[in-house]
Amino acid sequence: MASLLTARDLVKSYGDGSGMLTIIDKLTLDIAPGEFVSLVGPSGCGKTTLLMCLAGLLDFDTGTLEFKGTNVKGTPRGLSVVFQDYSRSLLPWKDNLGNVLFGMRQIADSTTAKTQRARELLDAVGLSGFEKHYPWQVSGGMQQRVAIARALAARSELLLLDEPLAAVDAQTRTDMQDLVLQLAERYRQTCVLVTHDVEEAVYMAGRVLVLGPRPTKVVEEVAVDLPRPRDQLTTREAPGFLAARHKVFSLIRAMRQAQKAM
Amino acid sequence: MLARMLLRFRAIISLLLVAGIWQLVWALAVVPEKYFPSIGTVVAAGWSMLASGELLLGDAVTFSRALIGLAGAAIIGVILAVISDLSPFFRKGFRPISDLAQPIPPAALVPMAVFALGLGWKLYAFVIILVTVWPTYLNGLAALQSVSEVQLRTGQMLGFGRWQQLWHIKLPAAMPEIFAGVRYAATISLIAVIVSEMLAGRDGVGFMIFKKAFALRTPEVFALMFVIALNGVVLNGLVGGLRWLVSGWHMRMMERAP
Repeated sequence: MASLLTARDLVKSYGDGSGMLTIIDKLTLDIAPGEFVSLVGPSGCGKTTLLMCLAGLLDFDTGTLEFKGTNVKGTPRGLSVVFQDYSRSLLPWKDNLGNVLFGMRQIADSTTAKTQRARELLDAVGLSGFEKHYPWQVSGGMQQRVAIARALAARSELLLLDEPLAAVDAQTRTDMQDLVLQLAERYRQTCVLVTHDVEEAVYMAGRVLVLGPRPTKVVEEVAVDLPRPRDQLTTREAPGFLAARHKVFSLIRAMRQAQKAM
Repeated sequence: MLARMLLRFRAIISLLLVAGIWQLVWALAVVPEKYFPSIGTVVAAGWSMLASGELLLGDAVTFSRALIGLAGAAIIGVILAVISDLSPFFRKGFRPISDLAQPIPPAALVPMAVFALGLGWKLYAFVIILVTVWPTYLNGLAALQSVSEVQLRTGQMLGFGRWQQLWHIKLPAAMPEIFAGVRYAATISLIAVIVSEMLAGRDGVGFMIFKKAFALRTPEVFALMFVIALNGVVLNGLVGGLRWLVSGWHMRMMERAP
């Protein structure tokens, strides 16, 4: 199957001369349509920078990046990002419905059709009845739901999720994991999830790409062969889950120990 | 019960307190009555000016100058802030001009402006805008430059160009700050109008104060001072209403914050 997003030998650095800091070094990855891929790596390896590059929000130095066979220059249509800092990525001067509608700004459609779709999406993320609330009137978990609905509203095919659940509390977090999986299924989204939580990476994904320390590249690929829908209890107890978790965790631990020894 | 009553009517009580002290100063004749009339005399003087029509005529002129000047200065301030935000070249080049022009008091501008612009509306436009534009400009620029990175990325993600980014994200985000500047500018605008009318005017409340003061008509002068204060309150009220319409979300958000 043709891949949806392809990166070849991506290089990204900041600064120049002796102060030059290479963040990404010849990174190559392929994302196939319908996949759920997690990206994990040791802290500070440049995960967010990588995601911003993949989204076309940051320029990279060399290499190629293609979305549906076309070179990425700026964020392409059909690609949406859910940012980590949800409380500030939502627009405080718009209510929740307005924020979701904002995601459809570049879509040519009648206002009534858009409004109906925005209501459906808010309902899909469990927020019907909160259309007229402003983001600052609802909890952090709810804000992130609005941000997800907005990302879906842009008629996306590929969702890039940048540690979207890092700031919510543990209980909300597991609920949100299942919500994201359920939405990915329902709206046929291909997903790339950046996270520092190994368990989350394995629980969500069909494939975990382990990133090396900075300058980063994909050092290992771990397949997670577990049935869907995933279940917070049974999936996390399955031997396949534990084996994948063990493998990813030991890889990251080894990298961190090597870093410390240096 | 009494405490609640005091709290509820605190605004009226503080006004009554000021009036009481006023009457006390008058009754004790600390200042000769010729220079410090009783409230009754001031009200009577104000009433007679109102009845003769000169007060409304003069105040209409003054208030419309202040309002038009403020609106013009606010619009120019926002435009300059937008240009400065888009172009670092302009921002850096404009910096010494704004640094130098900003501290000039309106009174110092009038004599020069009279020679250059005469005594008409051009004088008022020049003086008011030159002293009133800065709060909007400086607040607006600071706000435009501190719009959160994530919000800008959100616009970028939606494929926004520079102007869409400005119109849909930066300006709405900066509006609360801009209005804080306009609110401050409202008072300055009124000061600039009164001063210009005093020094170079042929009409308006500022001119009337000057004329009455030279004629030693103290009650009228006090009445006019009160009218100016009232103008300030009304002008602030108008700005506040507009602010509520444009960025009421921010005021409600701030009310929620502990």
